[in-house]
Amino acid sequence: MQNILSILFCLSLFYLAVTPRVKAYVAVLRFQGILLTILLMVPFVEQFSVFAVILPATLFIIKVIIIPRYINKIILELDIKRTIEPTIQQFNFLLLVIFSFIVIFLASSILSLTTNIETIPFASGFAAVTVGIFIIIFRKKLIVHVCGFLVLENGIFLFGTAVASDLPIMIEIGVLLDVFVVVFLMGIALNRISSTFEGFDVTILRRLKD
Amino acid sequence: MDTLFYSLLLQLSSIAAGIFFTEKKKSSAASHILLLAGLITGFIAALTALINSDFTLKDIQMFGISNNLFRFDALGLYFLCIIQLVAIPTTIYSYSYLKHYIEKGKSVRSNLVFYAVLLVSTQLVVVANHAIFFLVCWEVMSTSAYLGMNFEKGKKEVQTGSFYYLVMSHVVVFLLYIFFFLLHNQTNSWLFSDFHLLSGTGDLFIVLYALSLIAFGMKAGFMPFHFWLPRAHPIAPTVFSAFLSGIIIKTGIYGILRTFQFLNPAPEWLGWLVLAVGMISAVYGVWYALAQHDIKSLLAYHSVENIGIIGIGIGIGFIGSAYHSIPIQILGFGGALLHTLNHAIFKSLLFVGSGVIYQNLGTRNIEQMGGLVHYGKYFVVLFLIGSIAISGIPPFNGFISEFIIYNGFFTTAKELENYYPLLMLISAVGLAFVGGLAVACFTKINSIMFLGKERKEVKHFKISFYEYLSLGIFALLCIVIGFYPQPFIGVVNKVLIDGFVPAAPSSSLLNINWQLLSIIFITVIAGIILIYLWKKSIQKKYGRRISTAWGCGYEGLNPRMQYTASSYADELNEISKSVLGYHKKVIAQNDIFPAKGSFESHSDDLVDKKILLPVFKSFSEFIARIKFLSYTDIRYYIAFILIIITIYSLIAFLWS
Repeated sequence: MQNILSILFCLSLFYLAVTPRVKAYVAVLRFQGILLTILLMVPFVEQFSVFAVILPATLFIIKVIIIPRYINKIILELDIKRTIEPTIQQFNFLLLVIFSFIVIFLASSILSLTTNIETIPFASGFAAVTVGIFIIIFRKKLIVHVCGFLVLENGIFLFGTAVASDLPIMIEIGVLLDVFVVVFLMGIALNRISSTFEGFDVTILRRLKD
Repeated sequence: MDTLFYSLLLQLSSIAAGIFFTEKKKSSAASHILLLAGLITGFIAALTALINSDFTLKDIQMFGISNNLFRFDALGLYFLCIIQLVAIPTTIYSYSYLKHYIEKGKSVRSNLVFYAVLLVSTQLVVVANHAIFFLVCWEVMSTSAYLGMNFEKGKKEVQTGSFYYLVMSHVVVFLLYIFFFLLHNQTNSWLFSDFHLLSGTGDLFIVLYALSLIAFGMKAGFMPFHFWLPRAHPIAPTVFSAFLSGIIIKTGIYGILRTFQFLNPAPEWLGWLVLAVGMISAVYGVWYALAQHDIKSLLAYHSVENIGIIGIGIGIGFIGSAYHSIPIQILGFGGALLHTLNHAIFKSLLFVGSGVIYQNLGTRNIEQMGGLVHYGKYFVVLFLIGSIAISGIPPFNGFISEFIIYNGFFTTAKELENYYPLLMLISAVGLAFVGGLAVACFTKINSIMFLGKERKEVKHFKISFYEYLSLGIFALLCIVIGFYPQPFIGVVNKVLIDGFVPAAPSSSLLNINWQLLSIIFITVIAGIILIYLWKKSIQKKYGRRISTAWGCGYEGLNPRMQYTASSYADELNEISKSVLGYHKKVIAQNDIFPAKGSFESHSDDLVDKKILLPVFKSFSEFIARIKFLSYTDIRYYIAFILIIITIYSLIAFLWS
């Protein structure tokens, strides 16, 4: 079950690599949130406890409902154009992503020989982190940067479930809160920037330097 | 011991008093009264604990975890007593000092707050038992001193001087972190009371000693690291420079002594190293002082000298510990400890005195003073007492501690024989040389500042009651320790037995015939008084002829024709011209009709001008050269991070 979810997660990453639309990013984020929630719910099928539901429930509320809505709202309010404005060709980006996937999966399968990790969730998490960073590096739009950051964070989440199946619940919730605050701040910053500059490229932010 | 905590709370409450009173005068008075009350109760509590040998660990429960935060052992209590003892008169002076600023309408709130924080954190530093707690207090102490220093922040020299201090304290804290982490690594504890390492631990032992000596030595101002003292002291408000020179640099000494408690016995070469560094600091500290014109930077260099003398004592103690000789250790460390107390007293006296002069004349340049004896007779006497004490001339306290160190030299020579007598003889001569130069330096400032005619018009010279009180307390302490040192020696002996030489208690410190010394001093003083009375009676009989100072029969003397500080010190400064960076600029014409001429002399600090500034200059040039790497786009930075992480993980991957 965990493997299937992880592979679905990876497929969503591939979709991110080729789609040119901002809206698709938000949809993928929502999809990944659902996947992670299911992943966390799996162990409770056999053993249910109210306390353990807190984390999946918060995750669901924040990642599937609040954050995507918030981002959509920002897109609507600020009238952001729907393309993502890549700095390299989409095809090259896809090649880069595929290459890094190969390296990561190979590396994790070698690692799994000696250490106690679940290969596929581990590799998917790792890949999500990498893709998140790639998105930040190769895209110009600030709102896409926020999405890239969220993908990265999802990757860390998956990573956490793969490495230690019982990461302390408080830490996970803390991370969630962190992400929420960061996205919130980004939204405020975007609003401010929009009133000062025309457009939402990071290239414009050059003018902010001292 | 609880009294101590209440006293600290009382001192902290002075911050609130300083902040909440809206009227400046009231807030200053309230805050100082609270501070004084706290300091006095604290001092009494600490002193009684020290005398009754009430040495305990204070266990404080925090979140259900007990973490021995405080430790009141003899060494800590001794330094606590010094801090409080010196802080009391300094606080009294602080009141009258701030009054000047209040009259000018300047806000003194920041000064009140930082002074109180500085006092409390310094007291906590010496009783802290937990390493992290110690570091936190240390950092608070350094930072509040820095903030207090910036009182007149409009001036450029204030900014540069306090920046020197800030950088120095950061380097110190950085080194101390490494030091304590290494100690924690070795002992698996954060508590000072558990830090014990034997000298068999190999290289680490040396590394720890090196770290401690560099870090604490930098704070104390030993010679290669003294560069911040002459920069920071002159620019600080007098209260802070008195406290900085009297107390804060002593926390460095405290640190070195603590390190010795953690790591003993010290190897012999370390003793020689500390002795040599101390000797160099002492000799060149006083020599640099001789070349200064600014009274506060002169006193700052004298701090280097006295720290050097303390270092000599510590060096002797280290040598003693290498040979497991108890008398040598007792005399070496005893001299160092007593000199720490003495220096704190007379240096604060001199700084407060210089502050009084600065407040009245508005200048710190010695060359522009003169004839002050006609304005404040008693003030001059008090300043003179401090000067005599710091030069180590017999009847006062400076002599007592130097006498113990001399005894340490001779005991070392006697106990260890071999080639030691010769080396110790050289050291003794060195220390005597330091004393000689100090005398030269203080005759210079006393004669130029107080005697002769006034070089610049003195508009008003008023000394308030509080200033007299503060100076009087210091001077009284100088006299008491000089004439009746037994109780102080007893306390020092107790500290030594508790903390340094726990084995067989030796009485080599008490065995010195202190009573004889007292009798000699009293006889000498009685003799001086008799001669004075005799002089008076002769004067009555034949009358006294009064003429201008340095006049030599010439009547049309103007103040600019007097002997100056530069010319007084010139001969001595010429001797080690290259080290002192002493240079003169003379513009004079020997024509028939002389044109306008001028004369300047300067002394540049060797470490500051020849080492530090070039190093930092080349560093900033290097930074300017690699500036092209700094992009303005965040994406490049993230790409850099990714590349670095990839390299690291590749290394980690291939390694395993």
